[in-house]
Amino acid sequence: MKNLKEISTRLEIAKKKIKKKKLNKNANNSSSLGKALKISTELVAAVVVGTTLGFIFDNWFGTKPILIICFFFIGVAAGIINVIKSAKRMQGN
Amino acid sequence: MSSNPMHQFEVYRIGPEINLGMVNLSFTNASLFMAISAFALIFLLFLGTNKKLLIPSKMQLITEMSYSFVAKMINDTAGAAAKPFFPFIFTLFMFVLFCNMVGMLPYSFTVTSHIIVTFVLAAVVFIGVTILGFVKHGIKYLELFVPKGVPAVLLPLIIIIEIISYLSRPVSLAVRLFANMMAGHTMLKVFGGFVISLGLLGGWLPLGFSVALTGLEILVAFLQAYVFAILTCIYLNDALNLHH
Repeated sequence: MKNLKEISTRLEIAKKKIKKKKLNKNANNSSSLGKALKISTELVAAVVVGTTLGFIFDNWFGTKPILIICFFFIGVAAGIINVIKSAKRMQGN
Repeated sequence: MSSNPMHQFEVYRIGPEINLGMVNLSFTNASLFMAISAFALIFLLFLGTNKKLLIPSKMQLITEMSYSFVAKMINDTAGAAAKPFFPFIFTLFMFVLFCNMVGMLPYSFTVTSHIIVTFVLAAVVFIGVTILGFVKHGIKYLELFVPKGVPAVLLPLIIIIEIISYLSRPVSLAVRLFANMMAGHTMLKVFGGFVISLGLLGGWLPLGFSVALTGLEILVAFLQAYVFAILTCIYLNDALNLHH
């Protein structure tokens, strides 16, 4: 009888420990470093793609400085949209 | 040994030079380490699934854990519709993970620290997902570029922005993995160089840093493989379930 009681108390303690661990995990997500890296590159990549597209179109149409400037700003906008989208996705999780 | 921190990223030819038309197909150290990673992966999985015990051995446990890890990741991010793509994502995740981890061994070469490697992986994902989207939804897949509730005046601008945002996906996917791996390995080499140049008196501090950075690099190696796989799942989800 005594043995059973001991086991049940030990089980309860173990369950509480697991619960605590789970709560800690939710509060301090281990992949937050990955999230930070993800967002930062997303912003940069869109700017790079936009500017490159502007450069290519400029060479095609012979409108040297105009399109690269336009597409740079469009790229910045796209980058911000990317960041907003992935931030929303993270909040959804 | 060279003290140049970028020397470790040099690609050189092993064996004879093979030219196929204009394309140089020689076997390089990058190809060698890709092959090593792939064979290590196959070997591990073969060993793990060789004897299907009821009470798993350590090897079987590792393979089963990696299987359920990727399966859960796909289920959480892309839903049940992405189940048929499990082999692709599992292969991608394990290959990137093994390339990163093999790169952590001393005297080895980090394949993923070259942008052409990561960019090809990202391009395969990007092109595959785009084709999948068009096959699944036809011309309606282009609705991805038209968000709901936007006034008609702003629509041309928004569509251009959305297209650039879509095109930036493979770039961000490739640059993230490449930049993390290259920066980390350069940093390790720089601190290693400090240990040598400061000698027995002052070399202990950078040595400690080196040890700590190695731990961090192993974390980053895993994390980047994870991020690569999870973003593939997210893009897959966008292509499979078209809702904006």
